[in-house]
Amino acid sequence: MTGLEKQMQARDTLPWPERVVRAVGAGRRLQYSLLAVLLAFGVAAFFIMLSGKNPLLAYWLMLRGAFGSADAISFALNKSTPYILAGVGVALCFRARVINIGGEGQIAVGGICTTWVALHCGAWPGPLPIVLSLVAGALGGALWSGIAALLRIWRGVNEVISTLMLNFVGLLMVGEVLNGPMGEVGAGFPQSPVVPDSAFLPIIWPGSDLHIGILMALVLCAIGAMLLWRTPFGFGLRLIGASEPAARYAGVSLARSMLLVMLLAGALAGTAGGVEVLGVQYRLIEGFSVGFGFKAVAVALLGRLDPLAVIPAGLFFGFVEAGALAMQREIGVPSSLVNVIQGLTMVFVLCSIGLDKRRKRV
Amino acid sequence: MTAMLEMHAISKRFGSVHANHAIDLTVPAGRIVALLGENGSGKSTLMKLLFGIVRPDSGTIVFKGRELAAQSPKEAIAAGIGMIHQHFMLVESMSVVDNVMLGWPAAGRWLRRTEMATRIREASVRFGLELEPEQLVRDLPFGARQRVEIIKAILRGADLLILDEPTSNLSAPEVSSLMAVMRRLKDEGRSVIFISHKLGEVMEVCDEGIVLRNGRVVSQFEVGSVTRAQLARMMVDRDLDGTSPRAERPKGDGVLEVEHLTLSDGQGRTLLKDICFTLREGEILALAGVDGNGQTELVETLAGLRSPSSGMIALAGTDITAASTKARLAAGLAYIPVDRASTSIVPAMTIEDNLAMRDYMSRPWRRGILLDRHAFREQALAYIAEFGIACTGPAVTADALSGGNQQKIVLARELGRRPRVLLAAQPTWGLDPGATRFVIDQMLALRNSGAAVLYISAELEEVLMIGDRIGVLSAGRLEGIVPRSEVDLTAIGMMMAGAARERALGNDRRDANR
Repeated sequence: MTGLEKQMQARDTLPWPERVVRAVGAGRRLQYSLLAVLLAFGVAAFFIMLSGKNPLLAYWLMLRGAFGSADAISFALNKSTPYILAGVGVALCFRARVINIGGEGQIAVGGICTTWVALHCGAWPGPLPIVLSLVAGALGGALWSGIAALLRIWRGVNEVISTLMLNFVGLLMVGEVLNGPMGEVGAGFPQSPVVPDSAFLPIIWPGSDLHIGILMALVLCAIGAMLLWRTPFGFGLRLIGASEPAARYAGVSLARSMLLVMLLAGALAGTAGGVEVLGVQYRLIEGFSVGFGFKAVAVALLGRLDPLAVIPAGLFFGFVEAGALAMQREIGVPSSLVNVIQGLTMVFVLCSIGLDKRRKRV
Repeated sequence: MTAMLEMHAISKRFGSVHANHAIDLTVPAGRIVALLGENGSGKSTLMKLLFGIVRPDSGTIVFKGRELAAQSPKEAIAAGIGMIHQHFMLVESMSVVDNVMLGWPAAGRWLRRTEMATRIREASVRFGLELEPEQLVRDLPFGARQRVEIIKAILRGADLLILDEPTSNLSAPEVSSLMAVMRRLKDEGRSVIFISHKLGEVMEVCDEGIVLRNGRVVSQFEVGSVTRAQLARMMVDRDLDGTSPRAERPKGDGVLEVEHLTLSDGQGRTLLKDICFTLREGEILALAGVDGNGQTELVETLAGLRSPSSGMIALAGTDITAASTKARLAAGLAYIPVDRASTSIVPAMTIEDNLAMRDYMSRPWRRGILLDRHAFREQALAYIAEFGIACTGPAVTADALSGGNQQKIVLARELGRRPRVLLAAQPTWGLDPGATRFVIDQMLALRNSGAAVLYISAELEEVLMIGDRIGVLSAGRLEGIVPRSEVDLTAIGMMMAGAARERALGNDRRDANR
C-alpha cells in the first residue's frame, strides 16, 4: 500500500475542531507536491543559467507576468480552467484505478460538439446558446470516453491503450471537420467561423478577459469532492481503487462504476473543450487544445487525486505558463521552459510517491 | 546404507508458535522419503529450512557428509539440493532450453544453446522425461512443465530433490509418469523427499516416511509395514476431550439448500462436483479438508462471487442461484472470506469505512443520495464497543490493527447485520489463540441465536470442536456428512487424503482396462 493510496482512502468527516487538524495534516501531505514544485524551479534555474541568463531575474519576470496586472491574472485563470476541469475527471478515474489518459481526445471532441451547436443555435433566446453548447460539449466528451469504457467492459481492451488511441482520432477529427463542413470559407487556415456572440461565455471581471469558466471549474471540483467522499458511488470508486476483490465482495458493480466514472470524466473534459472555445477562442481552431489532456493528468497527480487539491495544481500550471510567455517577451528565455518545469515537477511528484512507498515497506 | 541427508534436532519458532520442534529427518541415498502431515504441521517450514529460505533456531543439517552452514537457496542448489515448488518458476514465453539456462552461472558467459539442448535430450531420455528442448513452455501441459523443473534441478547436479505436493495439479496419467521419473532417479542413487497428502501415492512410490503434527515428528514408518488406514490415523490423531460441550438444539428448519452444485473453470477443470447439503437453523456445519480442494470455490459460489455451472442454491425457500452478491446480502447471507488482507478488509481505509463497506448502500449509512457520515461514526463506535475492537478511534486506518482486531471488524460487520446464514471460510486463519477463541465463541453464539453457519477450515481440530455436523471436502466433492457424535477419525483422515477419490479412480482404471 503506498502512501498515496493511504491518503486516498483515509478521509472522512469529523467534528469541526478535528477537521481543522485533519486539514493541516492534508496540507502536510501536499507538502510533497509543494516540494516537487520548488525542486523543479531549482533545477530549471540551472537550464536558464546555461543559456546565459539570470534565473532570478527570469523568475521575477515570470512572477510579474503572471500576477502583474488584471489582464495577466485573468489570462492565467483562463488558462488554468480547462486543466482543472479535465483534471478533476482524471482524478476521479484514477481513484478507481481507471487509467483514463484520453483527455486530449475528449477535449477535442467536446470542442467540436460545442462549436457545432453554438454555430447552429446562436439565435435562441437568453442563456440557451451557452448552456446547450456546453451540454453538447460534455456529451461529446462523454461519448468519446464511453467508447473506451465499453471496449474495456465488453471486450477487455485496456483503457490505457484505447483512450490513448482515441486521442489521435479526436485531434485529427478537429482538422477533418475544419477542412470540411465546419471550416470558415476562405480563411486560409483550418478554423471555423466565429460563433455568435450570444454563445460567448460571460465575462465576470469587467475590463478583463476573465470568463465564467473558472467559477464553473471551482463548483465542479466541489461537486467532485462531494461525489467522492459523500456518495455511495464515490465510496464504491474508492473501494475499487483500494482493492478489486474487496469491491466485488462489497457488491459494487465494477462495470457500472467504471462506465459511470469514465462518462463523468469525459463530460468534464468535453466541457473543458467547450469552455476553451466559447470563452477564449470564440471559434474552433486546429490544435486549439493540444496538450490540455496530458496536462490534466499531470494536474490530477500533482493534486494527489484529491478533487479539491486539483484546483491549486491546475492554477499552478496555468500561472506558470502565463508567466513564461511574459518572461520570453522580456529577456528571451524561451517559454518552452515551462514544459521543462512542468515535466520536472511531475518527475519529483512521482519520486515522492515512490519514497512514500519505500518508507511504508520498511 | 549411507545417509544422503541428516537433519538433527531442528527447531524453529515464529513468535509464540513452534513451527518445528526438535525434528530429526534422515534421507538415505537412493530412497524416496515421504513427508506427511496436515496443513500447518510444519512440513513447509522444515523444507524451507533445508533449502535455506529460513534459518533454523537450532539443530544441524548434514548433507553428503558435510555440514550445511548454508543458508541461502543458492548455496543449497550448489550443494546439490533441488526443490520443485508447487507453483513453477518458469518463463512461459521461453523455450525449455532457455528456461534451463536461465539464472544458471554454469551455463557460461557465452550461451551454447545447442550443447545445452543436447544435454537436455540426453537427460530427458535417461530419466524418461519426454522433453523437447526447443518447445515453448507455454505450449506444454502442466505435467511437462513440472518435468522442466525436474530437469533444471538434475542438470544443476541435484542429488536430493524436494517435491512439494507435486501431484496436486496433475492428471492420473501424469501422476504415474512422475512416479516413473522418481523411480529412475532413485535407481541412479539420488534421493527424493516427497511431500503429499495423498496416502495412495505415498504407499505406491515411497520407501519410508515421517509424519509431522504440530511441528513434531509423531511417527516414522517403513512403507511396507503400515496400512493406509494407520497412516491416515497418524496424520489426524488427536485428543478429542478438549471440545467444549454445548446445549443440543432441536433440529431446525432447513434454511440454506444446495443441490447438485457443480462449478468448473474456463479450461474444463471441475472445481466443485455435485455438492448437495442442507443447512438448518441453529446448526453449524463444519467442513474439513486440505487446502485447495474446493473450499474457497464453494463459499465464493454460495456468496455469489462465482456462478456455478449447474445446480441450485436456495435461501429460505427462495432460489438465489442467479442472485447478485448484493441481493444475497439483503436476503440474510453473511460471508467471511478467507482473504483478510485484500478482500474482507481494506487496509488503507478507515475502521468506520471498513465496518460499513458491505452495507453503505442501505440505511442508516445512506440517506437519500448521500452517505450519512454521522451514522458511519455512530455505527462504528457501537461496533467497536460491542466487539471490543482495540483501536484508538474509528477514523484510524485498518492497517494499524492486529489481525485479530481486523477480524473483529469483519465479524462486527457480518454478524451485526443479524444474518440468517453465515459462510465462514477459515475465520481463525493467522490469529493467536485468544482471538481464535473469540471468533469461535461468536460462531457458537450465532448458532445459539438460531442462525445457520457453514464453517470451513483446514484445521481439523477446529472443525471437530465447532461443528454440529461434520463433512469433508476432497477434490471438489463433499463427502460423508456425519453428526459430531458419529465422527470416525480414521474415516475423516482417509477422506481428507482423498481415499474415496482414489478408489473411484482405481475403478475407472479397471473399467478402462476391461
